[in-house]
This record gives sequence, structure tokens and C-alpha cells, in this order.
Amino acid sequence: MPESIPASLIIDTLRDTFREARAAIAAEVAEPPQHSHLGWVLSVPDTHQKTVLSALDKERDMQVITFATEDEATTAAAGFYIGGEPCVMMIQHAGLYASVNTLRGVAMDGKVPIFYMIGLLSREKDKDPKESRHSMVRYCEPLLDVFGVPHARLEGPNDVHLIPKYHRMARERRGPAAVLVGLETI
Amino acid sequence: MSMKPEEVLRVIAAERGTAVVIPTMTTAPAWREIAPDDLSVTCAGFMGGASALGLGIALARPDRRVVVLDGDGSLLMQLGSLASIAGARPRNLTHLVFKNGVYHTSGSQDIPGGLTVDFVAMAKGAGYKSAYAVRELDDFKRRLPSILGDEGPLMVELITGLAEKTPMTARGGQPFNVQVEDLRKKLLRVR
Ligand SMILES: Cc1ncc(C[n+]2csc(CCOP(=O)(O)OP(=O)(O)O)c2C)c(N)n1
Ligand SMILES: [Mg+2]
Repeated sequence: MPESIPASLIIDTLRDTFREARAAIAAEVAEPPQHSHLGWVLSVPDTHQKTVLSALDKERDMQVITFATEDEATTAAAGFYIGGEPCVMMIQHAGLYASVNTLRGVAMDGKVPIFYMIGLLSREKDKDPKESRHSMVRYCEPLLDVFGVPHARLEGPNDVHLIPKYHRMARERRGPAAVLVGLETI
Repeated sequence: MSMKPEEVLRVIAAERGTAVVIPTMTTAPAWREIAPDDLSVTCAGFMGGASALGLGIALARPDRRVVVLDGDGSLLMQLGSLASIAGARPRNLTHLVFKNGVYHTSGSQDIPGGLTVDFVAMAKGAGYKSAYAVRELDDFKRRLPSILGDEGPLMVELITGLAEKTPMTARGGQPFNVQVEDLRKKLLRVR
């Protein structure tokens, strides 16, 4: 059975993820940008990850930027990549559907490492998402497959290691990669 | 007589210094000719994205001025970016909207509302630090130092005629992914 992940665990993992990403950038470039924080969370608020978002509000070393649309957040992520700053996208499945042209045009055609955390709001605990009653839950993984975006599901606290893994994968493949948050965070 | 977009771009090219420039739609072919070798990345293939791309670069590199050369139809497609930009408060972002009243690149169909759409009011309403319209080249020249230097986010709505070329009549330029890597290499001095 899937389990909910505590916000604090995700935040600690994000911190490690950003540290690793910063080290990778520092090794690659002569002029890494100078910022006092570790990284950026680009968000169109996701109900499923709301405990993470509210806990992030209190964190000084991670900057949350809220966007009006997922198109903007995705495109801004490309700007952060160009500028050498690590970021993660925090959205929900409906936001992925809303921003498919940008996923294609920016992340894929632009070969931009963009790491997504996508909440599967309304996912039933006892069901595989592919069997969900809700179209918004059902189509997320198949859509990522159509676009060839590697993805994994966070089904409990033991899976948070997939966050740095897929962030790294986005960097190494120069393209999008996603983790799906199976149950609402606590 | 409204300004010619190419004249505006020439003036910007002469004064921009180390600013990063993000052209889109009809400013793209002209900018490629006027400023070929430089710190630019074209928004092509994701209509409306120039402003958010500029926002990301501006936040990542607060030491640089970032100048977005937006289309009026393009901005309408991601109008919410005005609020996202205002909310994120990039002090180094200049947002220039080339207002020609039409979707020139796709065949000059009127944009919804045509020339009556007031981007200055929208930018102010969203919370930009400043926003105003310019219709004369001399006025633009006079204001350019503050357009490139004042605290942002700032928007200038440029009332212009049609460019000579569009991305449809003048294809070419590097693919987006090559432009992304080139600009990244230059900004970060990738080893
Ligand atoms: C999502 C999407 N819908 C429609 C189009 C078709 N299209 C290509 S260029 C263009 C017009 C662009 O107009 P504007 O931003 O005003 O720039 P201009 O050509 O006038 O400089 C349109 C509608 C597109 N490229 N992408
Ligand atoms: Mg236009």
C-alpha cells in the first residue's frame, strides 16, 4: 500500500538535491552565479503537495516562486538553467496537461533539464493510477510515456531517493524527468 | 508614422552593452541580422514564452540586464506572466512589447482587441515598477538609458508598424537548443 510522505522529509531531500546540483554546476563552469540560497521551487500550487509548499514558506535557503501558469513556470525553468541556477517544478497532473506544448517546445526541443514533482491529486490509495476512476490521475503516466519523459512514482518515505536521482537524470539527459507524488503529503 | 521595428532594434543593439536579449516573432529575424553574435536566445516554438524565459534568466543572473522583445499577440497568450513577473520582482528585467495590433507572423490577423489593448495599464495593474508607451523613435532614443538602467520590472509598449520579415518569410537561425547552450556557455563560462 502507498503511504504519505512527510513534508519535512521532502524538504530535506530537496536541500540535498540542490546541493548536489550546485556542486555539479560549480564543477562545470567558471562563473557560477552567486546566490545566498540553495535553489528555487517553481510552483503553481498543487493541492497534493500543499504541506510541502507551506513548510517551504519558512525555509530561507529555498526560494519559492509562484507562477500564474505551468507554461510560465516551465519556461522560467529554462531561464534558470541558462543562468546556472538549480530549480524544481512543483505542480499537479492538471498542470502538466495544461502545459504540454511548453514541455515539448522548451524542455524537449530545447534539451533543457527540467525536473518535475507532479502531484497525483485524487489518486485512490488502493489502485494503480492507470486504474483510477479519474481521468486526471489515469493519463499522467501514459502522457509522460508518449513524450518519452522518464518518470517514477513516490509511493512512500522510502522513495524520496528518487528525487535526487531524477533531478540528476534530467541534468544528464538534458531534458525533462519527473517524479509523481502518489499520495497527499503530510 | 509609427516606428519601424528594425529602427528600434538598431537603437537597442547600439546601447545594450552586456544585456541578455530575448526576441520572439517578428523581432527574431531582424535581431539576428542586427545583433548576430551575441547574448540572445530566441523564443520560438513556444508562443508567449519570451516573458517567462526572461524572468528565469533575470532571477538567476541579477547582475545582468535582461531585455524581452515581446509580441502583442504573444503576450496575450501568456498574459498571466505579467503578474508572475511583478510578483517575483526582478529588478533587472525590461519588457518591451512590440505592439503592431496583429499576429503578423501568422498572416497579420488582428489580435483580439487590436490596437485598443492597453498593455501599459495591464502591466501597471499587475504591479510592474513602471510602464509607459512610446510611439516616436526620438522619444525611444531619449528614454533608452533609463529603459536599460531603471529598476524593473519595467514595461515599454512600443507602437510600431510591421517588420519587413517574419519568422515565416525569413526562416533560419540556430535551433532553440543550440541557442540555449550557447548563451549558457557565455553567461557561465562553461569550461
Ligand atoms: C500555441 C500556438 N498557437 C498558435 C500559433 C500560431 N502563430 C504563430 S506566430 C503567431 C502570431 C504572433 O503574433 P505576435 O506575438 O503579435 O507577433 P508578431 O508576429 O505580430 O510580431 C501565431 C498566432 C503558435 N505558434 N503557437
Ligand atoms: Mg503582433
